[in-house]
Amino acid sequence: MHVKKLRKNTFFSLKGVMLAGIGSLALSAGANAGTVRVTVAEYSAKTGPYFEQVAKDFEAANPGIKIQFEVVPWDNLLQKLTTDISANANADLSIIGTRWLVDFVEQGIAEPLDSYLTPEVKGRFIETFLTPSVMNGKTYGLPIAASARAMYYNKDLFQKAGISEPPKTWAELEANAKKITALGNGVYGFGLQGKEVETDVYFYYGMWSFGGDIVKDGKSGLDSKAAIEAASLYKRLIDEGATQPGVTSYAREDVQNLFKQGKVGMMMTAPFLANQIRDEAPNLKYGVAPIPKGPSGDQGTYGVTDSVIMFQNSKNKAEAFKFLDFLFQPKQRIKFTVNEGFLPVTKAEAEDKYFAENADLKVFTSLLPIARFAPVIAGWEEVADVTTSALQRIYLGNGQIEPTLKDAASKANAILKK
Amino acid sequence: MTAKRVVAPYVLILPSFVLAALIVIWPVNELAQIASHSVNRFGQLRDFVGMANFRALLDDPNFIASLWRTGIWTLGVVGGAIICSVPVALVLNEDFYGRDLARVIVMLPWAVSLTMTAIVWRWALSGESGMLNSALIEFGIIDSNIQWLAEASTAFPMQILIGILVTIPFTVTIILGGLSSIPDDLYEAAALEGAGRWEQFRHITLPLIAPFLNIALVLNTIYVFNSFPIIWAMTQGGPANSTDILVTYLYKVGFRLGKLGEASAVSLVMFGILLIFTLIYVRLTTARGARA
Repeated sequence: MHVKKLRKNTFFSLKGVMLAGIGSLALSAGANAGTVRVTVAEYSAKTGPYFEQVAKDFEAANPGIKIQFEVVPWDNLLQKLTTDISANANADLSIIGTRWLVDFVEQGIAEPLDSYLTPEVKGRFIETFLTPSVMNGKTYGLPIAASARAMYYNKDLFQKAGISEPPKTWAELEANAKKITALGNGVYGFGLQGKEVETDVYFYYGMWSFGGDIVKDGKSGLDSKAAIEAASLYKRLIDEGATQPGVTSYAREDVQNLFKQGKVGMMMTAPFLANQIRDEAPNLKYGVAPIPKGPSGDQGTYGVTDSVIMFQNSKNKAEAFKFLDFLFQPKQRIKFTVNEGFLPVTKAEAEDKYFAENADLKVFTSLLPIARFAPVIAGWEEVADVTTSALQRIYLGNGQIEPTLKDAASKANAILKK
Repeated sequence: MTAKRVVAPYVLILPSFVLAALIVIWPVNELAQIASHSVNRFGQLRDFVGMANFRALLDDPNFIASLWRTGIWTLGVVGGAIICSVPVALVLNEDFYGRDLARVIVMLPWAVSLTMTAIVWRWALSGESGMLNSALIEFGIIDSNIQWLAEASTAFPMQILIGILVTIPFTVTIILGGLSSIPDDLYEAAALEGAGRWEQFRHITLPLIAPFLNIALVLNTIYVFNSFPIIWAMTQGGPANSTDILVTYLYKVGFRLGKLGEASAVSLVMFGILLIFTLIYVRLTTARGARA
């Protein structure tokens, strides 16, 4: 879940690199029995204060146990964990992207939670979101944040272009996008992400609709017919001016900003954009619709969870789990999920009024049955990197679609074989 | 007596040597350990693999491309900064009304964090809502938005320009130091002999600030060669690795792809290049010093 506040993150990233070493030394010296150290990702400006409050409440209820939080910008999290673990100075608990879990499990860094998990605690979670944290039959993480993707569309632009309802298929999307771009005035139909994290995911929305898979039978699906068709569609959208110009200079946040400014008609992203619109562009009239279907009715969205894991080398495992138990109680959960604009991960949250009566969120939750999670493979980040580079070359017109994808697929296959 | 002579110098340099060993040799040794082993993504050493990590680098076209690009980047930024800084320093060295204010203004960018500068520029260069495009359209220089960061052909030159901009304050400071050490009577004497301003610059100013230009050259080369924030904040080395320099490549390989062995190898290569550069520089300056 990359709810990254770009300005802040990039600002911190350098400092982070320099301070990581010093910081981890200081912290490891301070940690002793009865203190549980937790590394958490900073999803938004509300994350830090939220966890501070949680620590206070927990300490009041459990005298003798102290909670120490390290709030790290999302962009920096993996790098900080890497540095901490290699220096043997990691915390007791940490939030991680669930798709990293395979590395943590293979290297024996994550502790299986099964001996602590009572049926009651396990039963709190919605199955779909707990499954990605289960490997080899053992539960290694508890999902703390979940999201799926859907299509946001600008109702005013649709009306101006004479479109009555959001597109149900990619063919309709193409036609609508062209109509919206034709309005002129710096307005574009389809916001296409072409830079930085999840550029590959933005492409998978199309690929899944054409019936493709990221990995099938241990082989990359990048050279499949579906991938080629999806890439041709995206490239055509760019060439027809149906997307914003210069897509390779737009990270997801940049496309979201265009949407908030009312400059693009449609884009795919996570539930948290609704929160941002509420805070930053309350007058924007928008709707949320499912990701369009492909020619034969295929459809897919991206599901993501972040998990809290316990480190195998933690010296306070019992205390740490006690804290997890506390963190996953409805009161804490609802506040967190509402703050950050995620989907409920526990059943109690889902039943809460805020979620049960929210029309936008219903679209997202209705997509969960077709949600696909990042494949659990070591080297996933590398595959994503290869895919992103290939897509950027195609979007820029620096590479022919088929050969570029074939080349990327063979690189991805080499990584998958390792 | 002679035995003492032989031992004494080594004893005297021992403290500096120990210090250097702690802050240079030890980390380099650690890096060499990681670079010569197979390492998991958490930095834990596995099998010894010899030069395999270096071979993997040479097989990666992105590494070779980044290497060349680092050369262009360093040359462009350092060269550009020195060429721009000399006239700026000359002007600031003149006595004019408001000179102190002008000096402060030139120095200000130095006080702002490099990352902040880069992020502000990222916004300014944004295709649809960037200030640069609005300004250029306003002045009638262009009639449609330029997507500055979408392609390396526009992004990389802009990054070099920004690199020059942020390097100027430091360089100007050094050159100003040089200029203020030139006695005024040299110019008075030259003027009496009928030397014009260009001749004065060419034959008095330039030779006398040459040592300061040398310092600016070396320090800037080391800083710029290792400079991460501008490129990272603006393009993360993209699109498709087309603006990667060695540091951004290293960061990606190490922390995004988790190949710490290869990343350590890159960092040893970078260390080697800078070491060679410094040795050449020391050689050049000491040779000249000996002659003088």
